[in-house]
Amino acid sequence: MIKLAHNELIVLLLSISTMLIISRIFAELGKRFKLPVVMGELIVGIVLGPTILGMMYPDIFLYLFPRTGNIPIALDGIFSLSVIMLLFVAGMEVQLSLVLKQGKVAVYTSMFSMVIPFFTGFAIAWFFPEIFSIPDEQGPKLLFALFFGTALSISALPVIARILMDMNLFKTNIGMVIIASAMFNDLIGWLIFSFVLSLTNKSVNDHFSLWYTVLYILGFGLFMLTIGKKIIDKTLPWMQTKLSWPGGVLSISLGICLLSAAFTEAIHIHAILGAFIAGIAFGDSVHLREQAREIIHQFVTNFFAPLFFVSIGLKVNFIENFDGRIVAIVLVLAYVGKVLGAFIGARLGGMSKNHSLAVGFGMNARGAMEIILGTLALNAGLISKPIFVALVIMALVTSLTSGPLMKRFID
Amino acid sequence: MDLSKLKKRPSYPFETIAVAISFSPRCHPVLAEAKRLSDVLGASMLLLHIGEKTSEKEQELDEMMSKIGVNPNHSRVIWMEGEPVDTILKLCKLNIVDLLVLGALEKENILKFYLGSIARNISRKAKCSVLLLTNPDPQPKKFKKIVVNGVSNPKTIHTINTALYLAKNLKVKDLTIVNEVDVPGLAMAIADDSTAPQTKEIKKNLAEESEETLQMILEKCDSGDVNVTDKNIKGKPGYAISKFSKDKKADLLVINSPDTHLNVFDRIFAHDIEYILADLPCNLLIVHSRI
Repeated sequence: MIKLAHNELIVLLLSISTMLIISRIFAELGKRFKLPVVMGELIVGIVLGPTILGMMYPDIFLYLFPRTGNIPIALDGIFSLSVIMLLFVAGMEVQLSLVLKQGKVAVYTSMFSMVIPFFTGFAIAWFFPEIFSIPDEQGPKLLFALFFGTALSISALPVIARILMDMNLFKTNIGMVIIASAMFNDLIGWLIFSFVLSLTNKSVNDHFSLWYTVLYILGFGLFMLTIGKKIIDKTLPWMQTKLSWPGGVLSISLGICLLSAAFTEAIHIHAILGAFIAGIAFGDSVHLREQAREIIHQFVTNFFAPLFFVSIGLKVNFIENFDGRIVAIVLVLAYVGKVLGAFIGARLGGMSKNHSLAVGFGMNARGAMEIILGTLALNAGLISKPIFVALVIMALVTSLTSGPLMKRFID
Repeated sequence: MDLSKLKKRPSYPFETIAVAISFSPRCHPVLAEAKRLSDVLGASMLLLHIGEKTSEKEQELDEMMSKIGVNPNHSRVIWMEGEPVDTILKLCKLNIVDLLVLGALEKENILKFYLGSIARNISRKAKCSVLLLTNPDPQPKKFKKIVVNGVSNPKTIHTINTALYLAKNLKVKDLTIVNEVDVPGLAMAIADDSTAPQTKEIKKNLAEESEETLQMILEKCDSGDVNVTDKNIKGKPGYAISKFSKDKKADLLVINSPDTHLNVFDRIFAHDIEYILADLPCNLLIVHSRI
């Protein structure tokens, strides 16, 4: 078994502690200016990464984050685990019953806020691939178009939840419609994205393989959200009373998450889908105690999330890969597709014009979910670095403007 | 029949109480319970049987009615053939029924639950209030404890008033109005940048907000000499109140009628009333406020 050398272990621990401590300091500073935590974490990545530290002090940068040896492999393992955990907690907050409960307004809003940005993104990427420097061949063009549509249609539940909480809208009709629709967007978005990712290593002309992938994804989702959920629901009270508290629930829940992620990875769907769906099955249980839910969230959000978001800045040079034209196009498409889609859905569902616009801007926050999606696509070779940078900027801009724009239409 | 009379008709008093007759072993106790209610509330009774009218059945019903003491002058029997759920619902509408009384098992087997039993399907679709009796007794016992759902909803005021109307007439002293506090996404919203006091404050504010909403509703209600208490409980709506009613050993749980049309997906991804119908904690009154 390959082991980390004495020095390598020290460097690994140093790099992790640097990421954690500095990102926390930035997050706390950002809080004073009402900036999302993820923004502070991304800035730390940019500061510690090739964009700033690598440019000014390349020796220190390469010492802390070497490009060769065992450390990059160890860090890559930690970052992969981080994204799996992040998707697990994102899934834990998805309650499909909320969409059903909110009735037609939530169904229309989630449908239209998904369909319109998806087809807008898909159409632009399909008909104008040259904008994104995508070769005009069916295979890569289709994959990119599918990805781009998904990237524009996803929402960021954590950011939206925070905005609604700060605006005291959590328990209002608008708040519930936004939360329910964002949950549905996330579920469908991650299902489509898993499908796109699983296709990256396959030929899109292999219809047999394509249908198998779709079948696997739907079959797994259906199984976990019905039978899997029932099994978790039945065993959770036993876990919470018979096993040590809260350690027992933590170990089992994270174990189920990893098991589910391993299964989806094994059947050639990305591990994130397994984690996300396991999160839904676990988090939707009526027996999951509030304390257990909060501990899982705290652990993942404050340990794995900073590592993951800082790691983004370590991989990409944001200055070199900044393309103003792509950023502008992505921003315009993101705003138009999402706000318009959610607006139409909410109006059809019977909401007033102003409230529908508020729903549209509320749903527009992309935040951490968009960045995770972009990172996975970049790692899979689906998108180039300039497109990734544009998606990160779009995620931050939409998250920052969502609250103030919503406020205009609620007051 | 003038169906416009149904619209905006208040949820109480119960002037017409219908009871579904199935000639099952539970039929006699269900009828006895319905009779007790109609006597106390001064309501007329409507006995509905969906199925073939035979002389044996007629004789059995007559015997049952006389044994229980149902006054023929204050009651009517309607025999009709057809699909049970739709026919019962149609008859209730046509006869301006205020309360429909049905016997129901506490728990259905999985297949029946997902496909939908007659009593539960009626509960989901009815345009009048429905009382599901889990343990009907041929010698009806007094209700002692009533639990009412105080969820923030325009229907709730009508539900609470209906529960109070019942409590006053049935001489129930203990009535608890329960507000379930559940904020989806809250754990996620406070996970990364809230300090411990901030988190505490956020939760406290949410609880106080719920408390205030409930107090505002209660101020509009006339509780008379009924001892009304209110309680905030954490948990998923429907499941939490169901568990609370079971733990409290309540005799009756009173809830709002569903806001949306419920189908099999609502049973798979259960919420609110579906948690209660999946495992009835006690007798259940679903108040249709007709607003």
